[in-house]
Amino acid sequence: MPSSSDVIDAGPAARRARVAAPGALRVGRVRDLLRGTVPVRVVAWVAVAALVGVPLVAVLSLAIASGQIGILASEDVAVAAWHSAVSSVLGAAGAVVLGGALAIVLERTDVPGRAALRLLACSPLLMPPFVGAIAWIGVAGPMSPVNRWWTETFGGPLWSIYGGDGVVFLLVVHGYPVAMLIVGAALRRLPADLEQAARIAGASTLRAFAAVVVPLLRPALLSSATLLAVSNLADFGIPSIVGLPERFTTLSTLVYRYLQSATVDDPLGAVATIGSVLLAVALAGLVADALIGRRRVELDAGASAPARTPLGAWRLPIAAGSWIVVAALTVLPIVALATQSLVPAAGVPLTWETVTLDNLVRAVTSEHALAGMRTSIMLAVLAAVVCTVLGLVVGALVTRTRSRDNRALHAAAIVPQAIPGLVIAVAWLVIAPRIGLFDTPWIILVAYVTAFLGLVVQAVHAPLSATSTTAEEAARVAGASPLRALVDVSWRMATPAAIAGGVLVLLTAARELTLSALLLSPGAQTLGVAIFNLQQAGDYNAASALSLVVALVGLAGLGLAARTPQERS
Amino acid sequence: MRSTTTTLLAAGLGVALLAGCTSADAEPAASGAAEEQTITVYTSEPQEKIDEIVAAFEAANPGITVEVFRAGTGDLTARIAAEQQSGEVQADVLLAADAATFEGYAADDLLLELDTADVDALDPAVVDPESFYVGTRIIPTVIAYNTSLVEEPPTSWEQLTEAEYANQIVMPNPDVSGAAAYNAAVWLDEPQLGDAWLEALAANEPVIADSNGPVSQAVATGTQPIGIVVDYLVRDLAAAGSPVAVSYPEEGVPFVSQPAGIFASTDAPEASQAFVDFLVSVEGQELAVEQAYLPVRGDVGTPEGAPSMDEIAILAPELDTILATQDEAVSRFNALFQ
Repeated sequence: MPSSSDVIDAGPAARRARVAAPGALRVGRVRDLLRGTVPVRVVAWVAVAALVGVPLVAVLSLAIASGQIGILASEDVAVAAWHSAVSSVLGAAGAVVLGGALAIVLERTDVPGRAALRLLACSPLLMPPFVGAIAWIGVAGPMSPVNRWWTETFGGPLWSIYGGDGVVFLLVVHGYPVAMLIVGAALRRLPADLEQAARIAGASTLRAFAAVVVPLLRPALLSSATLLAVSNLADFGIPSIVGLPERFTTLSTLVYRYLQSATVDDPLGAVATIGSVLLAVALAGLVADALIGRRRVELDAGASAPARTPLGAWRLPIAAGSWIVVAALTVLPIVALATQSLVPAAGVPLTWETVTLDNLVRAVTSEHALAGMRTSIMLAVLAAVVCTVLGLVVGALVTRTRSRDNRALHAAAIVPQAIPGLVIAVAWLVIAPRIGLFDTPWIILVAYVTAFLGLVVQAVHAPLSATSTTAEEAARVAGASPLRALVDVSWRMATPAAIAGGVLVLLTAARELTLSALLLSPGAQTLGVAIFNLQQAGDYNAASALSLVVALVGLAGLGLAARTPQERS
Repeated sequence: MRSTTTTLLAAGLGVALLAGCTSADAEPAASGAAEEQTITVYTSEPQEKIDEIVAAFEAANPGITVEVFRAGTGDLTARIAAEQQSGEVQADVLLAADAATFEGYAADDLLLELDTADVDALDPAVVDPESFYVGTRIIPTVIAYNTSLVEEPPTSWEQLTEAEYANQIVMPNPDVSGAAAYNAAVWLDEPQLGDAWLEALAANEPVIADSNGPVSQAVATGTQPIGIVVDYLVRDLAAAGSPVAVSYPEEGVPFVSQPAGIFASTDAPEASQAFVDFLVSVEGQELAVEQAYLPVRGDVGTPEGAPSMDEIAILAPELDTILATQDEAVSRFNALFQ
């Protein structure tokens, strides 16, 4: 695609470059870029090595030292690996289709109530998956009101959430907001001129969209699909709550089985071995992704802001459809949570006589919940800041510069997504005493960065891998050093996406459970652990109340955060 | 390129290790003052209950501070194993899980021999003959039922195999719940029940929930009106107003005893022993009864709504037999309940 930067009034360096042979220019540029950005690259590699490499090496060495490679040949592991792979891929595909469609509706059409719809659509992010899964059992469990009525009327349940299909469904529900945010960020970066050109050439709106916009979105769709497929592998809450009742074991639930089993002499070794299998599955996925994603579409930074397509006669049906889908996926579990929060105990019907605010009052006044909120907010903010900065550096390097180690750096940053929190926690637990962080909140922060760095890297990767490097080239031509071009052009361009990724980290870390459950120091709490503890104690109503408070506060925060950039644009 | 990567990885590790050396030096020496002691307890007790226990213990033992790390049994096992990997176990007392876990730690010489005060007053079934651990509550697995949906509750395990209970039962997963794994072995070992009974139960297609918490919840909400679950959760729910009640099956109930033990690596053995003593003392057991647990001693009554201890038939087979057959029992269970 021709670049508009050609017209920039170039300095002497550019004039010299223009007369040089094209091949020489290319080699020279690569060398320059490498030379100028090498210090940044070294810093990025050291950070990724310390935060990702160290725990992964710990997992691998525990696995090798335990000599339990034998368990990999067992049928259990093979079945679980198959279940993991299938549910991850299907869950990711479904989430990308749903999230992508919603992003398009929200970014490119004039459906009414977009701001509220976007906010509501984000709400599954704010609910810990284990809480969401329990809320959904109330909606679609075998004995839920709907299924009971259906059974009485038609002699069999309509659809039970238990089993593999339920796992995929919930992975879609909890994954689509991530795809929606990533694809939405990419859509905002797509220039409108191509679409306009297609329209001028006589294509219908739909045709222009299908032939121009969708292909250009491919990298963002692939980036979010990869991220989700990899992180679905690690999910524990969903398969353990709706998968196990139908014996749908995945590798991450199998980890717990090995921890519980009295026959496994070396539980750590077994856990690490399964962790290594997941690592291998994730790497295989990334290789496949790299092969599929090799064909690239590159385009220039947009000259004109994308326009919204008036839907005309379709406006109401599309609006109604989007609202119904989003409301069904988000309002039902929130209503289930709210109902549970307002009754004194499970099984008590909600009436004016039974309704109580005790659970909500306890949720916001109990010492453990408050301590958990303080710790979680501090850790989530710090993790979001560290991940945003490091993710920006890594994401910009791997998309905006050319280097043979880009793929390795990119892969290293996102593979920990595939490893269950328990395994990452075990790795850091083994390392913690050696770096003096045992029983401090900092070890949780470090583990959060290991686990969530990929969210930001992938959020940056999605929009920037589809944009050609002409802007950087222009900067170089104008005499900027490679480092200057990286900082002034690439990082600036990547900052909005990095911040969007940072928000994802903030939301995920604020209600994180499996890492902090293992890494907390005695007496300390995080929000996720406080909710889980209430639930384990059988006090589901207080657990629901606390989750509801988290979800509502998070939604309010998101609403405020979403306002600012929208008004600016 | 690969060599650069490896070098960088090694450098990162080096930096991490260096940081470790410096901060290890800066760490303050463990406080040795005899009066002011801190012990760390790892437990799977519900948070609210362990908070009450610690408050009562600290009031009775001024000078001893108790730090609590609460997590599920699987997480505790993982944390203890990771601590062993990198040094020694950081907990002084473990109050969790089932006897099998403690037998394993005792075999690895990780536990201190207990000298529990007043041990003769305790139910001998919960006292380890080698004194490495002592049970602190009787936690039987019983039949729970939803009182608004079930008029005549089943009174025996045998009854659960009747056709009317098809698709009505929910029970915990032995892969997730240690108590459920133990139960599977006890049922299979019990001549009255055994494999034929388990097979008949499987024919009723019970829902396998992951642990006892979700089981009690499912019974309370009526998702499945009958549950096979530990008794105290049901009493807790009933106390909060849920329409649930407990039926103790006449063949007898398998139970776990939430044992307590002290890690050999402790630097506060007396304070730790004081904590274990407190758990099984009259005061500690009265608190347990208040918390809806069946006690391990006969002189403190039973929780409201529970029969007295001598009215409850208990299945307490030889622990060694159960431990030897538990894994086989779990795989039999898994094969039947596919």
